[in-house]
Amino acid sequence: MPSPEKEFEAILLEAIDESLKSMLGESGKELVYYQLKNSFGLRKENVPEKPELFSECLYSLFGLGAKIIEATILKKLCIKLKIKYEENKDIKFADYIKSMAKRE
Amino acid sequence: MYSFSNIFPPLIAGTAFASSILALARYWGSLKEHFSLSWLCFAIGLGLWFLGEASWAVYTLYLGIELPYPSIADVFWLSGYIPMLIALLLYVKAFLKVLPERVIYAITLAILVLAVLMLTVLAAPVFEAEEDLAVIFANFAYPILDTVLLYLAILGSAIFYKGKIGKSWLFITAGSISYTIADLLFSYTTTYGMYYCGHPLELLFHLGYLSLILAFHIHVKEL
Repeated sequence: MPSPEKEFEAILLEAIDESLKSMLGESGKELVYYQLKNSFGLRKENVPEKPELFSECLYSLFGLGAKIIEATILKKLCIKLKIKYEENKDIKFADYIKSMAKRE
Repeated sequence: MYSFSNIFPPLIAGTAFASSILALARYWGSLKEHFSLSWLCFAIGLGLWFLGEASWAVYTLYLGIELPYPSIADVFWLSGYIPMLIALLLYVKAFLKVLPERVIYAITLAILVLAVLMLTVLAAPVFEAEEDLAVIFANFAYPILDTVLLYLAILGSAIFYKGKIGKSWLFITAGSISYTIADLLFSYTTTYGMYYCGHPLELLFHLGYLSLILAFHIHVKEL
């Protein structure tokens, strides 16, 4: 049986994958992962360890548009974790992820 | 100059169409994905604009017929705006929420002021010229459609300007500015009978296509 941390990481990766696909399409999703690996040296499976780097990658590509992608990921994650999504503009994406990881 | 004025536009419009096809090939997923749809619309729009330029060149250079205004070329150009507007709308709509309301209002107000100014400049000469309805429609349709295109392009630039694809949006905006000024001048000069093949204002149309080519190239390169 996987540890709660591993389980959370798998759910987060699923939420990221599905959100990127729904917003950018399959090709757009792959391009984000490509940028992540090539420009930030981060593999897709390591995103749960460094969500701030993933966030930086989204901003470097989409500017303010990254906020919408992040919000979509967080909403999807909350649905998967069966918790209520509370929009908070003061909390950064990475901090939100970390706080949810602790809750789990 | 006459030949250049007729040969160059289909070449540069064709290049813009080709660059949109390359972008479509890169980003295509399925019709259900709205970004795929957006790139498909860019390609259709630029394809129609290319047909507009090509039909103008075929009529004037090969058939030796002076096209009336509006003509079949205008049908292609004007219908090309519909997919172009849908393309920009699909892209911008998905991200619009990130812009503060005051920014959206400021951009909307600026565009409305610009539209009113343009219509004011055009209204008197167009109505004084007592042209038929099709000419009046074309004289107003181009600047109005350009303004809507410019509006969406500016919104896109405001959303993405800090990101890598922001450069691409700045070129789309630059292209929209070029088309807006070019079409305004075209409507004005044709109304006063001052327009001729090879008029310097045509450079602005070329600049518009060039900006779109760069926009698509940068988008593909950066993402």
